[in-house]
Amino acid sequence: MMHRLLLVVLLALASPLCMAAMTIEIVGGALNRIPVAILPFTLSAAGATDPAAVVSGDLGRSGYFRLVDAQGVVSPASPQGLSLPTWKSRGADAVLMGQALPAANGRIEVRFWLFDAVRQSQLAALSYTTTPAGLRGVAHRIADVVHEKLLGEPGSYSGRIAYILKRPGRYELQVADADSENAITVASSPEPLISPAWSPDGGKLAYVSFEDKKPVVYVQHLADGGRRAVARFRGSNSAPAWFPDGRRLAVTLSKDETSQIYFLNPDTGELTRFSRGGALDTEPVFSPDGRWMYFTSDRGGSPQIYRAELPGGQVSRVTFEGGYNVSPALSPDGNNLAFVHRRNGKFHIAVMDLATRQMQVLTETALDESPSFASNGRMILYATLVNGRGVLATVSVDGKVRQRLSQSGDLREPAWGP
Amino acid sequence: MKSLISALLIAGLLAGCADTATVASIEDRAVPSKDAAKPSATPSSTAATATDAAKPAGKPTSIVETRPMVDPETKVAGLGATRGMAIGPDGKPLAPPVLDPKNPASPLAQRVVRFDYDSAAIRDEYRALLEAHAQYLKQTKAAKTILQGHADERGSREYNLALGQRRAESVYKALGLLGVADAQMEAVSFGEEKPVAEGHDEEAWQQNRRTEIVYEGE
Repeated sequence: MMHRLLLVVLLALASPLCMAAMTIEIVGGALNRIPVAILPFTLSAAGATDPAAVVSGDLGRSGYFRLVDAQGVVSPASPQGLSLPTWKSRGADAVLMGQALPAANGRIEVRFWLFDAVRQSQLAALSYTTTPAGLRGVAHRIADVVHEKLLGEPGSYSGRIAYILKRPGRYELQVADADSENAITVASSPEPLISPAWSPDGGKLAYVSFEDKKPVVYVQHLADGGRRAVARFRGSNSAPAWFPDGRRLAVTLSKDETSQIYFLNPDTGELTRFSRGGALDTEPVFSPDGRWMYFTSDRGGSPQIYRAELPGGQVSRVTFEGGYNVSPALSPDGNNLAFVHRRNGKFHIAVMDLATRQMQVLTETALDESPSFASNGRMILYATLVNGRGVLATVSVDGKVRQRLSQSGDLREPAWGP
Repeated sequence: MKSLISALLIAGLLAGCADTATVASIEDRAVPSKDAAKPSATPSSTAATATDAAKPAGKPTSIVETRPMVDPETKVAGLGATRGMAIGPDGKPLAPPVLDPKNPASPLAQRVVRFDYDSAAIRDEYRALLEAHAQYLKQTKAAKTILQGHADERGSREYNLALGQRRAESVYKALGLLGVADAQMEAVSFGEEKPVAEGHDEEAWQQNRRTEIVYEGE
C-alpha cells in the first residue's frame, strides 16, 4: 500500500517534466531567407527517428531559411537519383538529403549530402556514427553544417544552454540542447537558484544557491552531479565567472565591505581581493583571451560597465549612454559586448562593438535580463517577461532575427554553454 | 539620557545616509569602512552597555559611589524621576514596551525597513523601529539577527543582489551606531528573489525594496 502511494506521488512529480517541452515562436526574421528543401532521410536503422525533422526545426526557426515543402517526398536511394532541376523549379536554392543506416553494436551511421540547386553542385557530404540517443545531437550538427555552407558563418544549433526553471515552490537548474529539447534538471531546490556560469570546458556549472538562507556560490560537476560550496563567507556570495583557463573563479563577496569582486581558486580556497572602495562592484566576466575583466559598478553614481586590464590593472569605463547598463557578456571572439540597457524606464538587450564603441539596442521588450552569446557569436540568448511570466528568447547580433522559446513554467537566467 | 544619545546618533546616521545618497548620484560614493562607522562599538562602551542591560532598573554597578540629585518633592510626587514616564490619556503610567521578538504586540514585531528606488538610505520613519531592535540586541547578547536585504524585480538579478546587500548593510550600520555588536549581526541579500508583493508595478516594487530583520532560529 505504502509503495503504491509512493509511486503515485512520484508519477505526480514526474508528469510536469513530460509536459515541459518548449514551443518556439519566431518574432521577427531576416528579409531574404534562403529557400531550402530538406528531404526526409531514408531510415533503415532500427529505432532511428528522422534527423530531417530536427534539422528542419533548427533551420526553420532560425529566421535565416525558408523551408520548401518536401513532405511526403520519397528520397532517392542515392544522391545520383536526385533531380536538382526539379527542386530548383519548386523554388529551392539548396537541397539536403540523407540516410540513417544500421552500424555495428546497435549504432547508427548518418550520411548526408547538401547540394546547391542553382549551380547544380555539391556543397557538403559527411557521415557521423552515433548511438540512437545521440541522433538528435548529430541532427543539430548537420544543421550547423548547412548553416555554415549556405551563409558562410557557423551555426549554433548544436550547443547547450543552462537556465533556471521556477516551479511553484521549487527552483530547477536545467541543461538542455540549444533548441531547448532534452532538458535535464541538474539541481533542484526549494530556495532560489541564480547565475549559472559554464566552465570553459563545459563540464561544470557554477551557480548561486539560497539554500542556506543566504547566497552561496556552488560548483557542480555535470558528469556525476557532485557539488560543493566554494564561496560561503560571511554576508553574501554571488556572481561566479570562470577565468578562461577554468582554474579560478571571479566572485562577488560582501565579507569585508559592500559587494566587491574577488578571485577564488575553488580547489585550494586561495582568495585574492580585486576591487576596493565603497562602491558596489559585481557581475564580473572575462574576455576570452583573459586580458580583460568586465564588470558592473556604481562607482560613477549609476550602474555602468567597466573593464580592468588584468592582472589587477587600470580600470576604465565602457558604457556611457544612459543611466543603467549592467550584466556584461562577451562574444566568443571578444569583439562584442552584450548588456542590459535601460531606456525610458524599460530594460532592453543592447550590444556594443568594442572597436568602435557603437551601441545598438536589439530588443523591444521591457524587462530583459541576463544576455549570453551563442558559440558562433551571432546570437544572444536572454530572458524576458511576457504576461508576467519569464521566457527565454534569442536575438541575432544585428537585431534582425528574434525568436522566443516558451515553456509551461517561469524561465530565467539563461547561459549558453561553450 | 541614553535614549537621547541614541536619538542623536541615529539622527546623525540618517543625515549621513541622505548625504551619501545625494553625493552618490553625482560622483564617487565614499562609504567609510565598517569600523570607522561605528564609534559606539568600542570595547569600553560595549562593556558599559552590557552592565546596563544586566541591571535594567537599578543603579549602575560601579566602584564610584553616586548620589541622586533629584528634588525630594519631585521624587515624592512620583513623576518618573529624571527620565519621565510614559502615560496614557488617563494620566496613568503605561506598561513599558515588551521587547520580545515572538510577541506580536512588541515593537520588535515591526521587522521591515523599506527603501526608495535605487537607494539604501534609511528613512526617518524607521528610527523607533531600529532603536527597539538595538535595545533588544544589546539586552540579549545571545540573540543574533540576520538582516536580509531585498530589491525590486527591475534590472539584473546580480545587481539587485548587490543593491539588497547595500540595504542590509545600511540597517547593519544603523544598528551598529546604536551599540549593537558586529558579532550579533549578519547582513545578507536575497536580491529580487523573494518579493513580498508579486505584482509588476510601482506599488509592488516599493513593498519589495526592503530589509527584513530576522532573528536567528526563526
